Amino acid sequence: MIFGMWDGAFFHIGPIPVDHLVVTEWVIIALIGIIAFMATRDMQRVPRGLQNAFEAIIIFTKDFFTQLMDEEHVARKWAPLLTAFFLFILISNYSGLIPGAAHIAGFQPPTSNWNVTMTLAIITFFSVHVAGFSEHGGHYLHHFVSPSPLMLPLNLVEEVAHPLSLTVRLFGNIFGEEMVIAFLLFMAPFVVPTAIMGLSLLLGAIQAVVFTILSASYIAAAAGEGH
Amino acid sequence: MGVALGAGLAVSIAGIGGGIGMGVAGGKAFEAIARQPEVGGDVRTLLFITLAFIETLTIYGLLIAFMLVGKM
Repeated sequence: MIFGMWDGAFFHIGPIPVDHLVVTEWVIIALIGIIAFMATRDMQRVPRGLQNAFEAIIIFTKDFFTQLMDEEHVARKWAPLLTAFFLFILISNYSGLIPGAAHIAGFQPPTSNWNVTMTLAIITFFSVHVAGFSEHGGHYLHHFVSPSPLMLPLNLVEEVAHPLSLTVRLFGNIFGEEMVIAFLLFMAPFVVPTAIMGLSLLLGAIQAVVFTILSASYIAAAAGEGH
Repeated sequence: MGVALGAGLAVSIAGIGGGIGMGVAGGKAFEAIARQPEVGGDVRTLLFITLAFIETLTIYGLLIAFMLVGKM
């Protein structure tokens, strides 16, 4: 099981194998979806309970991304995607702390496999260019040859390096942390790993925040004026 | 033997560089917040982004180490 690859598919949908990671992702998506559905099922003008909590989250993220991305209409447009990134990455990082994760085959956090993190990074990659084209139209292409056409290769490398670094950062952190916990479990099965698990609560949240903030700043850089 | 040494060196040398960089960045950020506490929020956001960039280079070293261990 090197590199977080446990190659056993449960079944196939067409050419796509459905393995343990895909099933874990489905569970996470269903969890977020069901909670969001419960919160918005009968909305009141004066919110109570779950609806109140969700409205607080929406207002907080909108203010946060408006401050980060400088322009309110860009933030309004992209805040739902970025908030979804944050919730998905946070819950899937924390899914590695369920007892039994990472040392029972087929039970590991999805973000510790780089197919998953690269998928998220490719979504960011396309979002950046969609944001750029929808804000500036064809004029967006000018930023590839700015400040001079000599910089074109470097700009292209930069566009590829952004999603690559997003991928490797999230994957490396979560996979490394899982390996450390698995190694400690092997050496000292009781009590000792809780110290690292407590630390990984913090690390999982920080990685989710970092992925979201970096995606937001790439989108803001493509959509904003400063290029 | 050589591969194991290489894996250890990859992650430790990458860790030295990242550690020095993070120390300098974090120290300067704390100085800035201590001098002007009202810009704390902005500095904190920028600090996290900077630390993420620095950390990426260390994580590249860790990735190479994992690849080398996988080849053993």
